[in-house]
Amino acid sequence: MVILSMEIPEDIKEAKDIVQALLKAKKTLRMYPQNNPVYQKTLEDTNDRFKEFFTYKNTLTLKIKQNSILYEDEQVFYSPEKEDNLALFFFKDGLRELTFSKGLSQEELEEFLRLIALDFDREAIDDDVVTLMWEKDFQSIQYIVDEAYLVDADAESYEQVAEEKLKEQVTDVSDLMRAYSDGFTEEDVKSVSIVPLSDNDLQSLVKELEKDSADKIEKLIAILFELVRLAEQKHDFEDISVYCKDAIAYAMKHGNLIAALDLMKRSHEVIDNQALDEDEKKHIRRLTLFLGSEEVVGSLAEMLDSGVDIEEKVLDEFFGYLEKNAIEPLIKYLGELKTIRARRNVIQALIVLGKKDIQAVARGLDDQRWYVVRNIIYVLRKIGDRRAVEHLMRTIRHGDIRVRKEGIRTLGELGAREVIPTLRECFNDPDIQIRVATAKAFGHIESEASKRVILDQITAKEFRDKELDEKKEFFEVLSHWKDQEVYDFLVKILKSRFFFNRAKLFENQACAALCLGFLGNKDALPVLYAVRDSNNKLVSDFAGIAIKKLEYGT
Amino acid sequence: MELKEEKEIHRTAQDIINQLSVILRTAHIHDPGNIAVVTAIERFLLLVGLITQTESQIKLELVGEFFYLNDTRVRYPLEYLLNFDFLIREFKKREIGKVIFMDGLESSDVQVFLRGFIAAGFSDSPYDTFSGIMVETDNIETGNLKKIAEGTDADARKVIKRVYYHAVSFSQGVMTKIKSGEKVNVKKAKRIVESMVDHILEEEKLLVGMTAIKDYDEYTYHHSVNVSILSIALGQRLGFNKRLLTELGLVALFHDIGKIEVPNEVLNKSTNFTEDEWKLIKKHPVWGLKAILRLRGLDATSIRSAIVAFEHHLYYNFSGYPKVMRYGELDLFSRIVSLVDQYDAMTSARVYSRIPLSPDKALSIMMERSGSQLDPLLFKFFINMVGVFPIGTLVMLDSKELGLVYESDIVFADRPRVMIIIDSTGKKVSGPVVNLAEKDATGRYLRSIVKTLDPNRYKVNMAEYLL
Repeated sequence: MVILSMEIPEDIKEAKDIVQALLKAKKTLRMYPQNNPVYQKTLEDTNDRFKEFFTYKNTLTLKIKQNSILYEDEQVFYSPEKEDNLALFFFKDGLRELTFSKGLSQEELEEFLRLIALDFDREAIDDDVVTLMWEKDFQSIQYIVDEAYLVDADAESYEQVAEEKLKEQVTDVSDLMRAYSDGFTEEDVKSVSIVPLSDNDLQSLVKELEKDSADKIEKLIAILFELVRLAEQKHDFEDISVYCKDAIAYAMKHGNLIAALDLMKRSHEVIDNQALDEDEKKHIRRLTLFLGSEEVVGSLAEMLDSGVDIEEKVLDEFFGYLEKNAIEPLIKYLGELKTIRARRNVIQALIVLGKKDIQAVARGLDDQRWYVVRNIIYVLRKIGDRRAVEHLMRTIRHGDIRVRKEGIRTLGELGAREVIPTLRECFNDPDIQIRVATAKAFGHIESEASKRVILDQITAKEFRDKELDEKKEFFEVLSHWKDQEVYDFLVKILKSRFFFNRAKLFENQACAALCLGFLGNKDALPVLYAVRDSNNKLVSDFAGIAIKKLEYGT
Repeated sequence: MELKEEKEIHRTAQDIINQLSVILRTAHIHDPGNIAVVTAIERFLLLVGLITQTESQIKLELVGEFFYLNDTRVRYPLEYLLNFDFLIREFKKREIGKVIFMDGLESSDVQVFLRGFIAAGFSDSPYDTFSGIMVETDNIETGNLKKIAEGTDADARKVIKRVYYHAVSFSQGVMTKIKSGEKVNVKKAKRIVESMVDHILEEEKLLVGMTAIKDYDEYTYHHSVNVSILSIALGQRLGFNKRLLTELGLVALFHDIGKIEVPNEVLNKSTNFTEDEWKLIKKHPVWGLKAILRLRGLDATSIRSAIVAFEHHLYYNFSGYPKVMRYGELDLFSRIVSLVDQYDAMTSARVYSRIPLSPDKALSIMMERSGSQLDPLLFKFFINMVGVFPIGTLVMLDSKELGLVYESDIVFADRPRVMIIIDSTGKKVSGPVVNLAEKDATGRYLRSIVKTLDPNRYKVNMAEYLL
C-alpha cells in the first residue's frame, strides 16, 4: 500500500502563520504599551511574516466567513467560539474580504494592528472596525464589505419594491407629446448664468474652513439658552437643564473652561430673570450643583494637571460658581493631582468654598493620604473658623509627623483655652520638631494659661537636659508675653548661681539672656552687661546679642 | 514604500498637475519666451525630475473628471482647485486624454507642447492640430480623450442605486425607531454615509443623479438622503476631507429628524396649512435638536447634528425660524444643509406643496435668494456643482429632440449629457444619452439646449428614465 503524504503548499502554510500572527498581535498590542519590547517584537515578527510572504506573492487575500478565514479556498483559520474569533471579529461588521498588498509598510501594519487590537466591547468606541479602516485610508490594505448587513433583512427588498413602484407611473405619451410641441412654441426659460469661481472665493472659503475648526460646544450653549427663551412649558426647562449638564460635562472633558463658564453666566442671567417663575428657575439652579459634581471636578482636575494655561481670573470666576457640594470631590482630586500649581489652585478653591461648610472640609481630615490631611489642615487654618478646632484636635495624634506638626500649628492659631490640655500632651512627643511646634502653638494662643504652660515647661527639671536649639525655641516663644512676670522670671535665671550641671544650666542662662533681648525692656541692660562678662562663652555671646538688640534694635 | 514617502509622491503629483496648469495659464497672457513662462517651465521640469528619478516616465491621463498620474488618481487640494478645473477644461476642449512625459524631458520639449496646445485652442479639429505639432518632440507622447465605456457606467449605476436605496431604507428605519423610543445604531448610520462618501468621491454625478428621482410617498426619507448626498457633493467641492464629509453627510441625514414629532395628519395634509399648523411645522428644528440630544451623549457629531437641526431654517440673514436673539454666525454645515435642503424641497413634490419646481427654475429662485437667505459663496460653489441645467431638467434641443438632463458636466456647465426621450421625428424613445459637448468635424456643437420645460407640468416620471 502506498501512503501519499498530503503536502501543504508553502503559501497556504504562510497564510495560516500570518493569520495566527494577526491574532497574537491583536492580543499583545492591546496589553502592552508601544514602547514595551514585547509589543515591538510582536510587531516586527508579524511584519517579517508579511515580508516573507511578499517575496513570492504580490497579494494576500483573505476571505472572511462567520467562523473561518479562507485563503485560496483553503481554510487557514477556524473557531466556533465567540471569544478570540478573528473571523467573527471582522464578519460581524460586514467585512467579507481583506487584501494585503506587497509594499505594506511596518507603519501601516502597525496602524492596522492597533486598530484591530482595540477593545470594541469595553471601550466607548463609536465606530466599528470597517469605519476605522475607512478613515485610515490604508494604501496597502484593501477590503470588501457586505453593505446588506447595514439594513434589516426585509429592507433588502426595499430597492426592488421602491423601484417598481416608482416605475409604475409611466409617463403618458400624450403628455410627452404636449411637452414636445410646447418646446417649439414656449418662450425660452431664462437660464441661470454660472459665475466661475475666483481666487477671492477660494480665499474666503479657506477663511470659512479655518473658522469652522472652532469648538462647537459654545454654539450649542448659545442655542440651549435660545431654547430657554423659546420654552413654552415648564418641563422644557427640565429638558434644557439636562442638555446643559451634558454641555458642561462635554466642555469640561474637552478642556473648554471658558464654555462652561459662559454657560454658568447665562444660567445666572436666567435665574436673575424676574419674568420667570421659581418653578422654571429651579431646574437651572441645579446646574450649580452639577458643576460641583465629581464628574465635573474630575475634569477640572485633569485640566489643571495637564499644564494647560488657564488664566487665574477665569479659574477664580469658575470657582465662584461652585457650591459647597464641590468640596468633597475637590478633596478627592486634591490627593490625585500631580502638579504643585494644580494643588495650589484646588486648595485656594477649598479655602473659598470651605467657608460655606466647615464640616465638609473637616471630613477631609479622615483621608488616608497624609498629604491630603496636611493640605486640609492648611485649608482650615486659612479659613480661620474656630469651629474647625474640634475636628483638628485628632490630628495631633496622626501617624505622620508632618500632619501632627501642621495640626499643632493650626490649633495654636485657631485655638484658645480648650486646646491647651490636648496640646500639652504634645510636649511628651519624642520628636523635637513636634515639641517646638507645640511651644510655638502656645505662643500663638498668647493667653495667660498658655504662658503658664511655657513657664512650667521651662522650669521643669527635664528642661535642663534638652538640646540648646529646643531651649532657644521655648525661650523665644516666652518672649511673646512682654510682661513683668516673664521679665522677672528671666532676670531670676540670669542671676541664679549653680554648681552642678553647669554646662546645661549655662545654656538656660544664655537663652534667658537672648529672650530678654526680644522682650525689648531696657531695664534688663545692667543685668545683661553683668552676664556678658561671664566665663561661659555661650552666655557671654547671647548676652551680647541681647544688648545689641536692646540698644540698637538689631 | 513608506507611507510618508507615498504622501510626498502624491503631493509631487499634485504639484506637477498644478504647475502644468500654471504654465498654460501664464502662456495665455505672455509670449512663450517670456521669463514668467520660462520660469514656470523650469519649475515644472524640476518637479518632473523628482518623479523620473524612480519612474521612467510620467503618464498624465484624464479619465472622466479626474486626473491620473501613472495610473493613480490624483485628488486635488483646495488651493489647486481652480488650476485643476482649468486644466480639465482645457484638456477637454482640445480632446486631449493622455500626455506622457519621458525621462530626459527638456524645456524645449515643453515649449513644443505649449505651441501645440495653444494652436489646438483655435482649431476646429483640436486634437489633430495638437498631435500634428507634437511629432516635433520624442520626449512627449499624447493620446486622444476616451469616452467612458457605457458598460461600466451601467454597472456603476446598479451599485449606486443600491447604495441610495440602502440609505433611504436606513433613514426610514431610524425615524421609526426614534418614534418608538428604540435605540438608533449610529455605527450603521456612519457606514451608510461612508459608503455614500466613497461613491461621491468616485462617481459624484451618478449618486447626485439619484436625488433627481423624487418619491412623493416616501418624501421625508428620500429628502433626508438627498440632502445628505447633495451636502456631501458640495462638501467635496469645498475641499472637505473624507472624515469631514462623513460628518457632514451624517449631520445632513438627521437634519429633519424633528419632523417625527409633527403629527402625521398635519404633515400629510393635502390642503394648505392653517396658521396653527404652520406653527407646529416651525417647531421641528427645536424638536430635532432635542431628539438628537436625547439620542445619545454629546460628541462632536451629535453636537454638530443638533446645531444643524436647529439652524437649517434660520437662513443666512436669520430671516427664517426659529427666531433667535443672542446669536453668532450660522454654522458652516447649517448653511450647506440649508442650501441643499431648499433645492431638494423646491424640486420635490411634497404633500403640502404638490407642484414641484423644475431644477433650473429652482436654481433661478435660489439665485435671487443668494446673499439674503442663502450664503452667496456656498451658492456659487453649489451652482458650479449642479450646473446650469441640473439632472432631471427637461430640455428642448436645437436638433428638435426632447430630452432629460442625465448627467452634468463639471467643466462645461451648460453642456450636460442628455437622455433623448423624443427624437427629431417626434417619436417617443428611451435614449440614447448624448453628450452636448460633442462637436462635428467643423468644430460646431452637435446639439445645444434651446429651451427648458417644466417636467412636472407634463408629469414626466424621472424614475422611468433615470433609474
